[in-house]
Amino acid sequence: MGKKGKIRILIAKPGLDGHDRGAKVIARALRDAGMEVIYTGLRQSPEDIVEAAIQEDVQFIGLSILSGAHSHIFPKVVELLKERGVDDIRIIAGGIIPDKEIPKWKKMGIEAIFGPGSSTTEIIDYINGIAN
Amino acid sequence: MNQTELIRNLKNGDVRAVARLLTLIEDEDEKAEQILKEIWELTGKSYIIGITGPPGSGKSTIVDVLARTAIDHGHMVAVLAVDPTSPFSGGAVLGDRLRMSSAHESGIFIRSVASRGHLGGLAATTRFMVNALELLQNDITLVETVGAGQGDVEIVQLADTTVVVEVPGLGDEVQAQKAGILEIGDILVVNKSDRPGAERLFKELQMMLSLGEHGEWLPPIITTTATSNEGIDKLWNEIENHRNHLGNEKLRQQRLRKLKYDLENQVSQKLFNRKIIEVGSDKIERMATSIMKREIDPFSAIEKIIKE
Repeated sequence: MGKKGKIRILIAKPGLDGHDRGAKVIARALRDAGMEVIYTGLRQSPEDIVEAAIQEDVQFIGLSILSGAHSHIFPKVVELLKERGVDDIRIIAGGIIPDKEIPKWKKMGIEAIFGPGSSTTEIIDYINGIAN
Repeated sequence: MNQTELIRNLKNGDVRAVARLLTLIEDEDEKAEQILKEIWELTGKSYIIGITGPPGSGKSTIVDVLARTAIDHGHMVAVLAVDPTSPFSGGAVLGDRLRMSSAHESGIFIRSVASRGHLGGLAATTRFMVNALELLQNDITLVETVGAGQGDVEIVQLADTTVVVEVPGLGDEVQAQKAGILEIGDILVVNKSDRPGAERLFKELQMMLSLGEHGEWLPPIITTTATSNEGIDKLWNEIENHRNHLGNEKLRQQRLRKLKYDLENQVSQKLFNRKIIEVGSDKIERMATSIMKREIDPFSAIEKIIKE
């Protein structure tokens, strides 16, 4: 990053449900922490997310999923990034992800998962920690 | 990607390479300058359409439908959408993309840009970002400004055709008499024309145009309801009319004038930065203290610093 380099992160809410409050709260908190947040809104397909992340040249993709669709979406996003030869975008996730599945997703390439009760500070610290 | 690789991929119009160059440019990374030098001759090939107007007037939606219309007419389109940076945190939520789903579906390259403290409706680096986008071989670039106020007229220095989007209900008729953003429009749009007051706004704009001075081109006023695609074909036609009106010669003159303006700005900025570093902030603070104590007037202080 140059002298004015900023952390850019794409926040997406894949899946068919309309519960985007969490994603919006996170977007706002990350903005207040000085990051540039590309907010893509509801019902984004993995293809949309990966394409947008590439065009926006973000360092992070944040996926907010509450509907259980993560078991379809996580592998798909990871696979699409790989297909496009992208190895420098990190994926983090939040929402309802069963605890017992977390090791599996981390192994697959989801860097961090923030479940209910996570504080925004925790998320910000995590992102700042690996970005710098 | 190392730099040689990056330049090679840029020359092939690779999307990831262009996206990376855009980041380097907006970070004002010194590599951006080196790379732009290498690819400069490949840029400057798109027709730049600027979309500006107050916050919430529907700029993003218009860009979305306009982009699709341009594609239907056989063009290749890329989009830069500028949103404001928070003056408090330095962060930004860039939400224009949210309203550009159909452009996104058409495979258009869209880049969200934060203004990063620059005033005037664009980011400081927007011009070079447009040049970088042109490596994608697009022949049309749509640039959406920050939700603009009456003084945010920088887009006119960048765009070949500037579209000003207004909506009913924002102010009384005196607003239309005010200078600034309305005067820069080559095309004026009354968006959300299904709302009350649209007809009145249309008439006010008409009145403003008939009172004001204009050259050979009389800006048309188009009413649109972008969410239902209404009036967008008409808007596209007027953009083409304006482009035809400019033709090659006027477009060349217009671009030359803008580049000259830009070059002057860049030179003065660079000289300014060099001078400030050379003089040093201690010296400037001492001068400011003297001005505050009325030991010296600001005009003599400026002369003294410049002669330093």
